Amino acid sequence: MTTLLAQAKIEGPEIDWAGLSPLIALIGGSVIVLLLGLFRARPVREHLVPFVALAAIGAALGLTIWQWGENVDLIRGAMRLDDLTLALTGLFCAAGIATVLLSWRHIAPRESAHGEFYSLLLASLAGMVVLVGATDLITLFLGLELLSIPLYVLCATEMRREGALESGLKYLIIGSVGSATLLFGTAFIYGAAGSTNFAEIAAAIADEGISDSALLLTGVGLAVIGLAFKASVAPFHQWTPDVYEGAPTPVTAFMAVATKVAAIGITLRLFDVALIGVSDVWQPAIAILAAITIIVGNVGALGQSSLKRMLAYSGVAQAGYLLAGVVVASQAGVEAAVFYLAAYTVMNLAAFAVIVARQAQRPDGDDIGALRGLGTERPLLAWPLTLAMLGLAGFPLTAGFIGKFALIQASVEGDYTWLGVMIVIGSMISLGYYLKVVATMWMTSSPEPGEAKPAGIAPGPPVMAGGSPEADDARAPWEVVLVGGVFGLLILAIGVYPQPLFDLAQDAAASLSGLL
Amino acid sequence: MAPVFFFIAALGAIAGAIGVVVLRHPLYSVLSLVFHLLSLAALFLLLRAEFVAAAQVVVYAGAVMVLYVFVVAYVGGTQEPVDLPGGARARLLSFGVVGLLLVELLIATLGSGLSAVGEEGAAYEPGFGSPAQIGELLLTDFLLAFEVSSFLLLIAAVGAVVLARRRGGVDDGEVEGRISVAQLLAPEGLGSMAESVSGRSGVTDEPEGRG
Repeated sequence: MTTLLAQAKIEGPEIDWAGLSPLIALIGGSVIVLLLGLFRARPVREHLVPFVALAAIGAALGLTIWQWGENVDLIRGAMRLDDLTLALTGLFCAAGIATVLLSWRHIAPRESAHGEFYSLLLASLAGMVVLVGATDLITLFLGLELLSIPLYVLCATEMRREGALESGLKYLIIGSVGSATLLFGTAFIYGAAGSTNFAEIAAAIADEGISDSALLLTGVGLAVIGLAFKASVAPFHQWTPDVYEGAPTPVTAFMAVATKVAAIGITLRLFDVALIGVSDVWQPAIAILAAITIIVGNVGALGQSSLKRMLAYSGVAQAGYLLAGVVVASQAGVEAAVFYLAAYTVMNLAAFAVIVARQAQRPDGDDIGALRGLGTERPLLAWPLTLAMLGLAGFPLTAGFIGKFALIQASVEGDYTWLGVMIVIGSMISLGYYLKVVATMWMTSSPEPGEAKPAGIAPGPPVMAGGSPEADDARAPWEVVLVGGVFGLLILAIGVYPQPLFDLAQDAAASLSGLL
Repeated sequence: MAPVFFFIAALGAIAGAIGVVVLRHPLYSVLSLVFHLLSLAALFLLLRAEFVAAAQVVVYAGAVMVLYVFVVAYVGGTQEPVDLPGGARARLLSFGVVGLLLVELLIATLGSGLSAVGEEGAAYEPGFGSPAQIGELLLTDFLLAFEVSSFLLLIAAVGAVVLARRRGGVDDGEVEGRISVAQLLAPEGLGSMAESVSGRSGVTDEPEGRG
């Protein structure tokens, strides 16, 4: 036996700890936060736990910046740490920091226990990093699951509120259908190409002439559908409004932003690296999906009175715009998509911060009616939301305008001019609901003091908001206002001076070297 | 001989899968699933993946299915047979979608799979599918996947606990559970694990300070 063991000498893979460090920071943070949550003292659970979560995300962000410019394969091609991974990791960290701040005094962590809440959040972030860095079908699937499973639970954390469990369950079932479809698709791709590694799949498609094999094409089709579920691309978006509405608002913000970034990120890598050889097959398919998504999302958002539902449909529409960057399969497309992802992150976080603040102030804070007179009463909340809405609609001098401009330019250069036209049409429709929000804030007077609390809602602290009883219920938590303010300013900053972000996006696009 | 076994096992797997969704009685569905999983194990054997086949039988057809049977017995499978919700239109639509998917998959598998039936298949290397080789792959090529899946399992367990204990969602009336010394020493509403298992809430009955 001992001789057998002595003979069994296997070379372990080389582990690039520096390259893995952002991931390790998140996973380690997740475990530490989970253990800290077991302490009994209230301040530890309510303040130290989120603080440590913030520190872990901050460390991951710092390590990401430190690793910028490294382009290396990690652990035998399971993951790739390149500027695309790092740029998207930066976005995840921004979304994570904002989410921790938004949920600091929210009811959701209290109901699910702080340690577990923040631990799940960090685990989901780690899953996103694994996903966007994946260069292997197995890593891809595991990253997707590590992203999704904590989110299913996080959606249901506000258990005493009606709709929370429904939201979690709906997301679990539909998300699992998406995951299963994607897994099925990857199995077909593996069957056709004989490898799970992206580079080897690309080589097999190029050399072995399997680009018209039915096995591969079915796999590609199923993979498109599976990822479309995750990115809430129409017609696979039906879960989005219900889940966004039922989930706690900080979690909704996180889902809306980070999940979309992750889904679009892996779509870019899977299709532009592994499946680039069959691009003439998936390009038209994704283009049609993008067009449907833009129309369905924008038209669906028109009739919504709940801000979270409206932002859900708006997120669907934005996913359509983003797919334009995937469709063209060019460096310019990836660059535009990464830029727009950053802009999308900033704009949505600003908008959701205002909704969280509003919900802390009044129980119906999610309704558009809660914004009446906000402009004159609380300009600190009104301005970020205004900027976010104008940005999402694509007004000049905001991040959204530059981002859409880049996407349209990329689609025109990639011979998909009609998709660029669709983006413009979609943006025109979207003015109908974005401007409604702005008009409600600035052009209607605030309700009379008597009707400030609508009938039927008992006096006292709002049940679903994070406000504490002794605090003035008209004051939103300062950290939430801070998130709104910072991201609101960023919308303007990127809109006025987009060059630094363009440089980052260009580096990220350059890391997908197989593209024109 | 292998093609004969293949078709027996493949038809068994399909029949088992159909049985799971068609049979109305939950217990029969579970038994049908066992049959399906055993057929899959036979398919793995044909692929010379002995270890996976054994794991399939032990873990899925054995342990997981016992769990299912327990759940069915606990929830009461002998009551009303499960009836599908949704009207005729929804059912028709779902049949249409599934039919389209079936056609697509049949084209894919028949187009490429049938041509491989008469062939020898991939070359067999000694040691393929053995626990030693699988272990080696898990610790070399798929090390990251191995580690990530271990973390994934941890997080799934944490998530299950979060959902199952429903902190603060339980009425105070139905609380009483086990009592330990540690519980008596600690004040209420701390969010400890024991407290959450026994369903005591930490949210409702205490003032919420701003720290």
